[in-house]
Amino acid sequence: MAAGAVALEGVTKRYGAETVVADVSLAIAPGEFFTLLGPSGSGKTTTLSILAGFVTADAGRVLLGGQDMTQVPPRGRGLGMVFQNYAIFPHLDVAGNVAFPLAVKRVPKAEIATRVAEALALVKLTGFEGRYPRQLSGGQQQRVALARAIVARPGIVLMDEPLGALDKNLRYHMQVEIKEISRRLGTTVIYVTHDQEEALTMSDRIAIMEHGRIAQMGPPREVYERPDNAFVAAFLGEANLLPARRDGTGVAGPGGARLEAGAGTLPGAEGLLFIRPEKLGIAPGTAAEGPNSLAGRVRHASFLGNTVRYAVEVAEGAVLVCDAPNGAGTVLHAAGDSVLLRWRAEDCRLLAG
Amino acid sequence: MTDRPRILRPSRRLLLGAALAAPALRAFPARAAGEVIVRTPGGTYDDVMRRHVYDPFTKETGIEVRPVAATSAKLLAMFRANNVELDLIDTGDGQLLTLERMGALAPIAYDKWRWSKPEDITAEVKNQYRVANFVYCTVLGYNKEHFAGGAPDSWADFWNAGKFPGPRMLSDMASGSANLEFALLADGVPKDKLYPLDVDRALKAMDRIRPQIRRFWDTGALSAQMLSDKEVVAGSIWNGRLQVLIDRKAPLAYTWNEHMIQVQALGIFKDAKNIAGAQLLADYMLQPEVQAKYSRDLIYGPTNTKAFPLLSEEERARAPGGERSRQTGFYQNVTWWEDNRDRVNRIWSRWLQR
Amino acid sequence: MPLTLRATLLLLLPALLLLSGLFLLPIGWFLTASIAELGTWPEILEEAEAVLLSGAVGRSLLTTGWIGLVVTLLTLLLGYPVSYALSRVRGAAFTAILLCIVLPYFTSTIVRTYAWMVLLGRNGLINQILLGLGLVAEPVNLLYNRTGVIIGMTYVLLPYMVLTLYAAMKAVDQRLLQAAEGMGASPGQIFLRVFMPLTLHGVVAGLLITFILAIGFFVTPALMGGPGDVMVAMLIEREVEITQNWPSAALMTIVLLAVTLSLYAVYSRFAEPGEAVR
Repeated sequence: MAAGAVALEGVTKRYGAETVVADVSLAIAPGEFFTLLGPSGSGKTTTLSILAGFVTADAGRVLLGGQDMTQVPPRGRGLGMVFQNYAIFPHLDVAGNVAFPLAVKRVPKAEIATRVAEALALVKLTGFEGRYPRQLSGGQQQRVALARAIVARPGIVLMDEPLGALDKNLRYHMQVEIKEISRRLGTTVIYVTHDQEEALTMSDRIAIMEHGRIAQMGPPREVYERPDNAFVAAFLGEANLLPARRDGTGVAGPGGARLEAGAGTLPGAEGLLFIRPEKLGIAPGTAAEGPNSLAGRVRHASFLGNTVRYAVEVAEGAVLVCDAPNGAGTVLHAAGDSVLLRWRAEDCRLLAG
Repeated sequence: MTDRPRILRPSRRLLLGAALAAPALRAFPARAAGEVIVRTPGGTYDDVMRRHVYDPFTKETGIEVRPVAATSAKLLAMFRANNVELDLIDTGDGQLLTLERMGALAPIAYDKWRWSKPEDITAEVKNQYRVANFVYCTVLGYNKEHFAGGAPDSWADFWNAGKFPGPRMLSDMASGSANLEFALLADGVPKDKLYPLDVDRALKAMDRIRPQIRRFWDTGALSAQMLSDKEVVAGSIWNGRLQVLIDRKAPLAYTWNEHMIQVQALGIFKDAKNIAGAQLLADYMLQPEVQAKYSRDLIYGPTNTKAFPLLSEEERARAPGGERSRQTGFYQNVTWWEDNRDRVNRIWSRWLQR
Repeated sequence: MPLTLRATLLLLLPALLLLSGLFLLPIGWFLTASIAELGTWPEILEEAEAVLLSGAVGRSLLTTGWIGLVVTLLTLLLGYPVSYALSRVRGAAFTAILLCIVLPYFTSTIVRTYAWMVLLGRNGLINQILLGLGLVAEPVNLLYNRTGVIIGMTYVLLPYMVLTLYAAMKAVDQRLLQAAEGMGASPGQIFLRVFMPLTLHGVVAGLLITFILAIGFFVTPALMGGPGDVMVAMLIEREVEITQNWPSAALMTIVLLAVTLSLYAVYSRFAEPGEAVR
């Protein structure tokens, strides 16, 4: 197996009665940008700490580059790391910070100098070698942390919410740069974030975690468009989850409307129909026309520029959100208008409730 | 210090005194009317004196007595601050001489005495401004068990570490004076030719014994502790301190040979608020019966010759002063020490660190 | 929020008044008045020369400096691990260690020193153990010599070092240590390259404060020292109490004060917050 491969096999971690990581297994290919996404307390940082070796799992194995590293201390794992708070050494200048992973491995001085210069060039910090952390902005400190993580050319880099402390503009900028650098170096990146947009933008694959388990794992588009469960559907972006029930002829929605889904089944008599707001078509109308159409009344319309967001109340008090593109010649609906919502069977899924 | 120009004295005296005496000024509660406040060494001394002197005095005269503790520096500061809070000073003769030379004391009113007779007081310790209330002495004390085969009986013996081995102690300047007299005695100077002390010769003799000296003691408590804890097996020590240990069955003993008599005396601040009361208390304290009582309890020597016959044979054997002292001891010359203390202290400090 | 100069002065005022009333003014008076007593400037200088160059003061300064240095280094050696432990534990263990360090401060210096005398004497506990185990044939002199002074002073001064170091160690971001570990540093490297540099200002501050306190020591060397262990504060005490030569005491005080204040100037540079620590 290549140097950049990462695998967790049945990893479990408990603190007292609480199971923080529950039987997590995953396999990451070399060069992959893999994101652990989840709300706080979902176990993503603990999973990363187990990978890094700061936390010892109660059960399971950690494989790095095909080798069992479960019992190896952090310094034996040869990983690059970017920490949530950057963890930049205040007593060392930029060059000293970046050189640290090489210096502790007793790399010759001349080589250290070359590699530090390369790493700083990569993060566009050439010329900052002699500055101290307190003289740097947040973004610059972030770059120092990044340079330090890659300077030893690790096959795998772990990043724990590295952009959490930056403002929105800078964050976007750094997302692009991190992605760019990791691609250029061919590094496997395991990235922890609670920001779903960040995860969608950067990742090759995302594992969404909930209560210490992986709720779903897959490429961004797949997890976004084909969530396996209601948690994933709701956590990633906006989702409509309509109550659905099985009857004699198929699946019925609010007011007995016929529902036809391109994927998924209801495990029991009742469940949910998942459909993204942007997949809904909206047009004036008062009566349903065939399956996957619901008549309703606009309760609220928000103009967002390139889209208009409608909240539409349908039968049984259910409310659907619909994002209509503000395209050429679009007629806007007002609150109180009677409208008809329609969607394609392949854009919706049936999920367990 | 005393012969310097006096032009700036009053203001400086006030300033300096205020600075140093600041903590001292509020040290004592307000005085009661007619009360005599007396400086004492404190501790059990106060208990003995209260029983035998202060309470009977109050009963006789109606004048209350309050003992307070004060260091030498504090007494000096009080005088300099022009804020004398005490009347009678009961302290070492040397300390009183300092105050006398500064002009701080009132003459002792010998002519007005009603209880004591001035002619009964030993002449050596009866001065215009100070009068001794007892004498104590520094003796050569040793551990009987350590020297079971023969104990040192003179300072020459003490200096003879070959014949009398074991760790020793002598006094430090910080105790008031160093034992230069004993060094000279050990070096062959007769005890009537000690003063003026030949400091260089004394220190040369000290050089010889110094390797055996575990410590130069600075307080009576330390000297007693070192001897009873067997930190040392011989040394100079105040007789009262040693006698207490012996009475508690410690295996210690001492020789009366070549003991040095030191004087505790009374003086009265000339700026005192109750000079008359202080004079009366001094007079009362020195009468034979009273002296005999407190001397007996404190294991010190009376200064009133009429007090000796009131002591038992056994008590006289323990008390310094009197006829035996005249034969085997000598008086420490406080005047010489007062004149030379500064110089000796400096030489001593340098010698210690050689 | 930064304070204006005026607000700062206002906040400091009570402390300044107290300090000047109870310390600065008396000591200023003592020094100026005592020295003025010597007479004119030439007379003062002559006396200063006599006192300070008498040999006793010079030697005593050397003794004081040497004892101070040894004691300070010992407190560092003993205090660094203790402080480290203290910075790493919580709850009952923390309270227990802290109590052990601070408890002696609830008793007087004299009581503590007497306790040492009981332990260290020729017939004290330590010698009895050593003799009992057959480790020594004769009692070892641990008291009334330089060893005694150093043991006693180290003990008394250890808390100052420990608490100063503790403050510096507690301020170290634990995540930095973890980061270093993650970047491949061994425990030794983490200590030498990260922990120690980050606590260095605390070490310097601890060394200075302990040394400053040590050179002013009086009671412990007076009680536990031997004939030659004369520290400057003891000389000053003798001039005040025994010879009552206050001008002389004042001159020595000025020397000691000058040394202390210059060290304090160095100390305040290292104790500057925000420079070494992030």
